[in-house]
Amino acid sequence: MAFPFHLSPEETLRDLTELNRKVASGIDNLSRLREEDLQVGVSPKEEVYREDNVVLYRYTPMVDRPFPIPVLIVYALVNRPYMVDLQEDRSMVRNLLKLGIDVYLIDWGYPTRGDCWLTLDDYINGYLNNCVDAVRGRAGLDRINLLGICQGGTFSLCYTALYPEKVKNLITMVAPVDFHVKDGLLNLWVGCGPGRPSMDVDTMVNALGNIPGEFMNFGFLLMKPFELGIRKYLDLIDLLDNDKKLLNFLRMEKWIFDSPDQAGEAYRQFMKDFYQGNKLIKGEVKIGGKPVDLREVRVPVLNVYAEQDHLVPPASSIALVRYVGSADYTVKAFPVGHIGMYVSGKVQQDLPPTIANWLKERA
Amino acid sequence: MRWSEQAEDLAKAWAEAQKKMWESWFDLIRAAPASSPLPTPAADQWRELALQGLKNWTAESEQVVKDVAERLVTTQDVVMRFLDLSISAWKAMGPQIEAGEDWQTSAKKYADQLRERLLQFPKSAAQAAQDTDELRRLYLEEWQKLVQPWAESLRRVPWQIGQAATGDGSAVVKLTNLYWDAYERTFGRLLESPSLGHTRELTQDLLKGFDAWVDSRRAILDYQTGLAEAWAQAFEEFIRKLVSLAEKGDTIQSLGQMLTLWIDVVEGVFTTRFRSDEYLEKQSRLVNTVMAYRLIERDIVESFLKTSHLPSRSELDDAYRRIYELRREVKELKKSIRDLKAELADRSKQESPAVPFNGPTPDDHGQEQTQN
Repeated sequence: MAFPFHLSPEETLRDLTELNRKVASGIDNLSRLREEDLQVGVSPKEEVYREDNVVLYRYTPMVDRPFPIPVLIVYALVNRPYMVDLQEDRSMVRNLLKLGIDVYLIDWGYPTRGDCWLTLDDYINGYLNNCVDAVRGRAGLDRINLLGICQGGTFSLCYTALYPEKVKNLITMVAPVDFHVKDGLLNLWVGCGPGRPSMDVDTMVNALGNIPGEFMNFGFLLMKPFELGIRKYLDLIDLLDNDKKLLNFLRMEKWIFDSPDQAGEAYRQFMKDFYQGNKLIKGEVKIGGKPVDLREVRVPVLNVYAEQDHLVPPASSIALVRYVGSADYTVKAFPVGHIGMYVSGKVQQDLPPTIANWLKERA
Repeated sequence: MRWSEQAEDLAKAWAEAQKKMWESWFDLIRAAPASSPLPTPAADQWRELALQGLKNWTAESEQVVKDVAERLVTTQDVVMRFLDLSISAWKAMGPQIEAGEDWQTSAKKYADQLRERLLQFPKSAAQAAQDTDELRRLYLEEWQKLVQPWAESLRRVPWQIGQAATGDGSAVVKLTNLYWDAYERTFGRLLESPSLGHTRELTQDLLKGFDAWVDSRRAILDYQTGLAEAWAQAFEEFIRKLVSLAEKGDTIQSLGQMLTLWIDVVEGVFTTRFRSDEYLEKQSRLVNTVMAYRLIERDIVESFLKTSHLPSRSELDDAYRRIYELRREVKELKKSIRDLKAELADRSKQESPAVPFNGPTPDDHGQEQTQN
């Protein structure tokens, strides 16, 4: 058997020196960057409603006469919503605006210690409902379109089940519905499934109050520690002398590590009822005492999921078809991961027109 | 060329390359605009000084830039350590393979040595975790930092508390009594506070805390042991892959290729392990015991805060809760008022419908006309 390494000393030295040169040159490039170079959430918008830390924005239309039924984007509480408007050439919002859609977005803000008592009732029957009413009032409509992303998709499902009279059409993107799927590592860690060791959510919330964003982030990174902790930065080395690609990378990095704390009581209920109890599909979830029955979701539904999603396994999203009462149900898959849904150039060519056309057909 | 000679050459080239790499790093850092003067590093200081130089270099940058730069250097460091380990392994295995030993045996021996090295800390710490006397000493050492004003009292206690203890935490009781003795002789007398009640409460909290602390410490060590096992397994798997390549006649031609293989292997090993029942059990126990200890730790801290007339986390949370409830109440009241106003406005419209206007109206010529 031959010696498996054919690394000549000269080549090894050359490779290492080159590695070193690239890293140092890259850090030199990095050190010249300033805050204004890393602007995110670039599309112009105005604040139209505010309640506590929550702000509702309307994006400035890019056509003279936008489609009359606006879309309200409901993002997750985890991570920041500017992911959907990360930069000019990677913005689902911008692409929807160009297609004539009138776009609103809820920014949940950064919970402080005083917000640890906020519940899902506050978020869904409170903030979300009030934002929907604000949009309805501004548009002069009884019903508007909702676009829920990830946990925001789950919230939007609950909302639509509770307030079907206020929702015209519902789009869910990479939204978890069935939390007891076998292939979800996150689901396993939280303790989803009978007989599984589980996280004591009550003790955690009682001890911490709000769940720190860093803790959430650490968990997400631990799901692919070497891909996300090492290979990503090794690949970065080859981008360091390309300003455009470097800035793209840094904006993503900024978003990844910009994790708000999770309001304790809302976290408690979401983890215990949705993840551990899988109560949504069982019809046992109650938000502010009101039962959530997915069969009450009878409006048209477009369910979009990512085929390579390691955070929300496809099976978790696909399950929605078995539980909603909608006669008009469409599913669309994209060959990307959870984050790729918003930032992949290829998806951004296809997804916004899919959404816009689907909505316009159901005006 | 023989295996051992090849491995030896590779190791030498590697050592030389590392040295040149760090030297050129320092040349670059010294030339950077915001750089402070750095001493010429000794061989083992390169990494630490590189990080320090990096901080100077990116001092005026935005936080995300500083973070990414640090992660870049850390990644480079991880890569270097991995390559170091791999080349050392081949250097160690080369002579054995040449002496006729099959690669599996050599690889396994090296992996066992690695496992032993990785487990050395967790094992010794786990042994300490079996020794209740040692645990008590460590636990009280941690609390000593917190109760600094009273540290003098605690320092007078000989550390042979384990010998005096009956195994039910009475040594802890003696320590807290000593602590409260100091308090009583100072603030206690001044404020005439009921120290006996406080002693009982604090004693109970400390005892509960000790048990919770031991549980969390054991869970942490258990988790670390699991990770160390995973590393050793990943290394074995990596060697197995390399040999598999060699058997097929394939070879590693570059460092990049070697790194790609390593990352693929180690990610696969860890991802599989993360799904195992054994890992799930360790992780949940780690999180749960640490959180349980944190709760009790807060109770203990609050006992001290109370005696120092400072507000506690629980008191603040109670205040926040009250604010939250009041805020909800106000919102509901505001909504009720809005709804009532809207209802009143509707009723007014219904009860007082619009009456036809009977007043003068201008005709086409602008003259007023009246309607009967």
